[in-house]
Amino acid sequence: MALPNQQTVDYPSFKLVIVGDGGTGKTTFVKRHLTGEFEKKYEPTIGVEVHPLDFFTNCGKIRFYCWDTAGQEKFGGLRDGYYIHGQCAIIMFDVTSRLTYKNVPTWHRDLCRVCENIPIVLCGNKVDVKNRQVKAKQVTFHRKKNLQYYEVSAKSNYNFEKPFLYLARKLAGDGNLHFVETPALAPPDVTIDLAAQQQHEAELAAAAAQPLPDDDDDLIE
Amino acid sequence: MADPAEHREEEEEAAAAAAGEDEDTGAQVAPIVKLEEVAVTTGEEDEEVLLDMKSKLYRFDKEGNQWKERGTGTVKLLKHKETGKVRLVMRQAKTLKICANHLVATTTKMQEHAGSDKSCVWHALDFADGELKEEMFAIRFGSVENCKKFREMVEEIAEQQGKNEEKENEEVSSTAGLVEKLSVTETKKEENAEKEETPAEEDKKGAKE
Repeated sequence: MALPNQQTVDYPSFKLVIVGDGGTGKTTFVKRHLTGEFEKKYEPTIGVEVHPLDFFTNCGKIRFYCWDTAGQEKFGGLRDGYYIHGQCAIIMFDVTSRLTYKNVPTWHRDLCRVCENIPIVLCGNKVDVKNRQVKAKQVTFHRKKNLQYYEVSAKSNYNFEKPFLYLARKLAGDGNLHFVETPALAPPDVTIDLAAQQQHEAELAAAAAQPLPDDDDDLIE
Repeated sequence: MADPAEHREEEEEAAAAAAGEDEDTGAQVAPIVKLEEVAVTTGEEDEEVLLDMKSKLYRFDKEGNQWKERGTGTVKLLKHKETGKVRLVMRQAKTLKICANHLVATTTKMQEHAGSDKSCVWHALDFADGELKEEMFAIRFGSVENCKKFREMVEEIAEQQGKNEEKENEEVSSTAGLVEKLSVTETKKEENAEKEETPAEEDKKGAKE
């Protein structure tokens, strides 16, 4: 489900709607997948932003058009219009904020009014934070409404691929579908002239003086 | 690769299982596409793995004058079995997407990162997205030793590539010498033109550097 101004692709694509209260990390989660970055700064999404997100699987390449919607009421915009033709969904809450979990049923109801019988994943985000307000055991909504549940952290990448993997498996009806290596094409040979190289080295020296964004080596070793 | 990380993954999985996470609590929904299994290619089939280590990669955002995370996963140095060219390929863990993909060239120079002795920085014309982009990368390893090992290997490869190119250049000039002998009356300018026509396109590029 591409937007009119978006390129269509010759491989399977799905419209994925992402909803949940403002500040639960929907945009950060999508950005993490798009570029690898982890954005700490909170800038509320206005209306909706659509991002294509590709994955390589053992059944070929697939694409999710991620409809990253505004969580804040005042920036909400069309709502039902965003949900229409949604083929799968993620409902996100923040485990450090009870209220965001309390609001999950409302998001679920609104979504299901427009999208019937689509696979939905409930995500409890920010599980890296020490002081959780919503413990894993207290999360029960998914059992009542038959949703899949994952504890995730956009910051630490914990389970960050699981929601997409689950949805892909459901949409294809293949429980064995899995992600595979994106083919690494041979980079073309290029020559860099001396002047350019000197400029690069100067820029690099300046960049090397800037700190790296975090000192969390957990993920490396 | 490293035991502690594997351990953590096991622990995470155990914790996930305890939380009932791998249990499918989702509703039965009808699939909307039928996908056939396809042959999978990594693009690395003709290469020898020289190095394979866990790391975290950053790219420099010039506009914001800051480093931004690019991915956490495995960095590899891969040597092509035929051409002998070496490239750096980094993949994101779990999704196996490409974070970096570029040749290690004679011009590839590693520099220290001011804030961390587990990190180093370099400039590259990167092909991760299938188009060449100028990037400045920083990489962080789990230990000072791993960073040193990576850096030394890249520097060694860059030097080796330089030697290879020099050798190729010598071959070019000896060919040019022969041409000169054959056509005694040719001016220097024309000799250069002859050079252009030699089939060794690659060598010519090397010679210009």
